[in-house]
Amino acid sequence: MTAAQRAWAALSLVASLAAATWLWNERTQLLAFPDILSAYSAKEYCSCRYVMQNSVGYCQSYIKQYLPLSSLSEDPGQRRVLASGLGRSNTAAWVGPRQGCRLIPGSDG
Amino acid sequence: MLRLFILSISVLCSLPLCAHTWPSEQWSQALAPASPAVAALERYAFVERDDTARQGVRTDALLVIRDGEIVYERYAGPGAVDRVHATWSISKSLLATVLGVAYGEGRFALQDAAADYFQPLDQHRDIRVQDLLHWASGLDWQEDYEYAPLNSSVVAMLYTRGHRDMASYAASHRRAHAPGEHFRYSSGDSNLLAAALRNMVGLHEYPDYPWQALFTPLGIDNAVWETDASGTFVASSYAYLTARDLARVGLLMQRDGQWRGRQLLPQAWVAFNRTPFVPSQDVPGEPAAGGHWWLNSNGAWPHAPLSTMAALGHWGQALYVLPEQRLVVVRYADDRDGSFSHDALLQRVLAAFTEAGGQ
Repeated sequence: MTAAQRAWAALSLVASLAAATWLWNERTQLLAFPDILSAYSAKEYCSCRYVMQNSVGYCQSYIKQYLPLSSLSEDPGQRRVLASGLGRSNTAAWVGPRQGCRLIPGSDG
Repeated sequence: MLRLFILSISVLCSLPLCAHTWPSEQWSQALAPASPAVAALERYAFVERDDTARQGVRTDALLVIRDGEIVYERYAGPGAVDRVHATWSISKSLLATVLGVAYGEGRFALQDAAADYFQPLDQHRDIRVQDLLHWASGLDWQEDYEYAPLNSSVVAMLYTRGHRDMASYAASHRRAHAPGEHFRYSSGDSNLLAAALRNMVGLHEYPDYPWQALFTPLGIDNAVWETDASGTFVASSYAYLTARDLARVGLLMQRDGQWRGRQLLPQAWVAFNRTPFVPSQDVPGEPAAGGHWWLNSNGAWPHAPLSTMAALGHWGQALYVLPEQRLVVVRYADDRDGSFSHDALLQRVLAAFTEAGGQ
């Protein structure tokens, strides 16, 4: 190994350690991150439809993000919304005339 | 007989009841006639909507109340007179108004430790209720969400790690500053207040309290306030009202907490709402933080009076109260870019609906 190669190897090791440390420190955020898209979409679509009483077309456009959902389905009878994206799914449901919609715990991930 | 009649009218009119017009079940209307100033307001607020690209100013509702009467009202897009709209962070000021009623009932004092009412804050016992109202808990909260979703506390609170119990999630943050010394806008602080309210008024009254304390007395019968799975009102984000009903809250604030001759909010509470939090440093173009309301005391909106107060929410939602001009303005919107300006709107509203504005 030349001096240059040794320096490069040391630098790579430091960089990998830094990356690993960052991943470890941010692990809770990183693990939760893929849920954001489907949870946001399920909750805000539910409120758009069943609290604000807007149309399907309007609400689909209202929740649109840069990243596309893989699916969005609603059960108008139950007033439940299931959204999937980035490999995760979340459900939101309308719970009452004053309480509106909320995410259903346990439906994520 | 006639003299007696005139005398009794003048006695009645010395009371606030007669001096002011109040909305009953409906608002009374005194619609302003068309004028160049109203046309200029509409050219600003109701430009042709671009709903595909979601660009530009996209007003869903604009309602102007002067002296307790509707002088202007227009809806567009999904907005409609009988339809509730998301208020987003206007909810924070609504919670403060609900808390004002509880304050008047002697349920808490501003200097009380918030932990007295919300046990998960025990590790931060020096945070007082007034610190939360000033968004000065000192907790290490990250409010940014559009640009830093990974580390955004508010995204995690609403949609991922915090959504089951938002206040406990907020309480779990470590300290960045001593409480009461540093302004940092935080949806977590607002939800901590919503959780504290539960023990201020009791478990039994809590689910109905915003209605019992505020909405019903004001004649608001169409409010929605979403809760998290633990039953805490999402005070940061999730109250929904019609524009006309939100204007009732504005009129209450415009008239110093009085509603139809009843002092619903103590004057001291409204004064607290209207007092700028001194340690906060002005952000250019942004109004100053008061007691969970925004204040133009720093002249951030140069065309609006310094006494203007406002409740503001994501994507352009706004409730403006101009006590000296006796104006209340509700704007609902879906602004997805930065093109809307509070100052530009208020400038045009003042021009159209005040005498000084040149009507």
